[in-house]
Amino acid sequence: MKANYLRLLLLSTTLLVGACAPVQQTESSLNYGLTLSPSGLDPHLNASAELGIPLSSVYDTLVFRDPDTGEFVPGLADSWKISPDGLTYTFELRDDVHFHDGTPFNANAVRANIDYIVDPQNHSQKAVSMLGPLVEVVVLSEYRVSFQLSEPFAPLLDSLSQVYLGIASPSALEEWGPAEYQFHQIGTGPYRFIEYIPNDHILLERNPDYAWGPSIYHRQNAAIHQIEFRFYEFEATRSLALESGQIDIIGEVPFREAERLSDDSRFSLYPTPIPGQPMQFYFNTRVSPTDDPLVREALILAVDRERIVDTIFGATSPTASGPLSDVLFGPLLPNRLTAYDPNRAGALLDQAGWVDLDGDGIREKGGSKLALVLVTPTWGSNPQAAQLIDVSWEILGASVEVISAPAFGPLKEQQSNGEYNAIGLNFFGTDADLLRPSYSSSGLYNWSGIQDPDLDQLLNMAASEVHDPSLRASFYQSAIDRMERAFVVLPMRDYVDLVVARSDLIGLRFSLQGWFPFLIDLTFSS
Amino acid sequence: MVPLPNRSHLQLLTVIGRRLIEGLFTAWAAVTLTFFALRIAGGDPADNLLAQGLASAEQAQALRQQLGLDHPLGIQYLEFMRNLTRGDLGISLYTARPVGRVIGEQLPYTIALALSGLMIALALGFVFGALAAWRERTAEGRFAAAMSDLATALPVAFTGILILYLALMLSLAIGRPMAAPGLLLPAIVLGITSSGPIGRVVQAGLRESLNSEYILAARARGLPGGARLLWHAVRPALSPVISLIALEAAYLFSGTVVTETVFSRPGLGRLLVKSILEADFPIAQALVVLAALFYTTSHILADLAAIMLDPRQRRAG
Repeated sequence: MKANYLRLLLLSTTLLVGACAPVQQTESSLNYGLTLSPSGLDPHLNASAELGIPLSSVYDTLVFRDPDTGEFVPGLADSWKISPDGLTYTFELRDDVHFHDGTPFNANAVRANIDYIVDPQNHSQKAVSMLGPLVEVVVLSEYRVSFQLSEPFAPLLDSLSQVYLGIASPSALEEWGPAEYQFHQIGTGPYRFIEYIPNDHILLERNPDYAWGPSIYHRQNAAIHQIEFRFYEFEATRSLALESGQIDIIGEVPFREAERLSDDSRFSLYPTPIPGQPMQFYFNTRVSPTDDPLVREALILAVDRERIVDTIFGATSPTASGPLSDVLFGPLLPNRLTAYDPNRAGALLDQAGWVDLDGDGIREKGGSKLALVLVTPTWGSNPQAAQLIDVSWEILGASVEVISAPAFGPLKEQQSNGEYNAIGLNFFGTDADLLRPSYSSSGLYNWSGIQDPDLDQLLNMAASEVHDPSLRASFYQSAIDRMERAFVVLPMRDYVDLVVARSDLIGLRFSLQGWFPFLIDLTFSS
Repeated sequence: MVPLPNRSHLQLLTVIGRRLIEGLFTAWAAVTLTFFALRIAGGDPADNLLAQGLASAEQAQALRQQLGLDHPLGIQYLEFMRNLTRGDLGISLYTARPVGRVIGEQLPYTIALALSGLMIALALGFVFGALAAWRERTAEGRFAAAMSDLATALPVAFTGILILYLALMLSLAIGRPMAAPGLLLPAIVLGITSSGPIGRVVQAGLRESLNSEYILAARARGLPGGARLLWHAVRPALSPVISLIALEAAYLFSGTVVTETVFSRPGLGRLLVKSILEADFPIAQALVVLAALFYTTSHILADLAAIMLDPRQRRAG
């Protein structure tokens, strides 16, 4: 009797799997797992990094950046010139490019794209701010266009190298408008946009006409015929999807799973550094006790950052060494962040007047306890880091309350309340100007509340230094030096995207931003 | 079936009318609560929209004005209710698309999942429930009862991963890759989760009617045991099951949230979670209205079905 039930159970489970049809895996099609299903897929209007994974191969940009050197290389623009005052960028455009819908690419197309982005009715979330103090785009001739600025803005070329400022077919923008264009995207890139069903899939097909790729692409034309992207938002399902053959490649694999899969000969692990700010916590300099630099320094020294990063993220993730990632920004970091030193941390607190007089393990000063509120985002393993930071600070003699914020809205809400001592927030980016919103006195994300006119001036001078990169770098070195001496941020971990792919998928490389693969270079080894 | 006499028709209409008014009130209360809760706890949509873009404070303020988020909350609410009564669900803050269209695209996926999940839940619930009541003191009866308990206790996410893992093991064993997840696996997971309560109610109802006097009388009249007897006993046990299905239908919606995430399926559940996290108020509100209306409708239908199945309830209604 019991054996019968068992047989029945086995039979039904077999039927269940049998019902899943086998995938027709031809060499020229690829299934790519995305980890977030973006709300809104228009690169000009929406901001998610995930959308760039498919779309950076649908669009070309005026310029590209070499992922190895960071140098700018020609894209849709053959060459460019920046006026001595830094206010005019003139681009000579290629004359041999057409969009997937046949529309020819020219100066008017560039202008139409920028007009679409800056139109306030279209609510651009990211691209519009990447343009900085842009006044207008002027069409000088069919293949010559200039960008006019009201003040010098050094990050502009970097902005123009990103998918958010990729050039779309002006006739498609006109035809579909901001609400529907995301479903009918037309670019000039190595892949054509075929279909997007929200939360289900995105489909791309190779563009056989592609003949104007930048020098950073290794191949002239895409080898893989068709790429289907599906969304795996639930972390635990990513390695299952790889192992079951549903997908050939996916990023953001949890590190233990990634390590396990890298031991499997069927898969290869690509730890891909993402430049920008590290995972970090800002200290609130406006409330006690973190208004005292001695306390902030002590709180940094009390955290064994290397060990925490190693525990949570494994060997593939480097400990952060400053307010910017070591990858891409290494030369800007004076690297003065001191190593773990709990004894010195305790001595600093003593010096600041925080002493445990009643022997309850918590330090006091003037009748009040050393109490800290730590606000952590719930994404990107921040809570695990916050938990271990909490323990370090309690050992130091503080009582710590950890508050979790499940999305940016609630996080901002906590920040607006102002009742926090430390709060987690970071942005990714490939230009050091991303420090400005976070550390200048009036910056929208100045969540530490640092007010330092000299720092403001350094960051502004760096942003407008268009012609001399080494001078610009020296401004940033001085700025970061000031920031680190003020102890306003606890940097934890430089971000690394753990991408796992089938071992027979070859040619995988990523753009300077780290997130975006060069799909054109991918092939399957036979 | 004999047609209902007029008096019963009238009573039926009264029941439906009262349920409808209750339902509309529920929907209004739910959407009002959601409106204010989202705005108090959900964060500022303009901040959310610009979070990844490093926009300036001026850009954020301009966007707030454009979206009408700088108006007093009361005015925003009146505006929203006025549009709602006209059937205008508004525009998504995130993508500038009409909310009706965004929801319409995702709706079929959730309906397909919920319906097939419900079918599987009913099948499993009836099999295990009937087995548990019919063979109460045997090993298979106890096994069936335990399965219902287990199905009730296991969280959807756990069942989901378990099923995915089993499917992977089997696909490896038979050497065939798994296709992208279709409807079957998620429906099984949702079905298992919802089958627990159904199994228990079927078991309880059947046990009661199997021990009742009319079954005893039927046996005395010489009705043979087995299937025909079971059918006699099932009908009166159905009515609580129907009521439960109405409740389950509401639970199914919450079950789809997790199931859709685990199986990376499109659908309303994921849309709801995302719209709340992103403070895309118009979408979240419209989904709440939809859920409240659905909940109300399924309750009315359950009441009707209960009355049809069990005439005793007409008086009670």
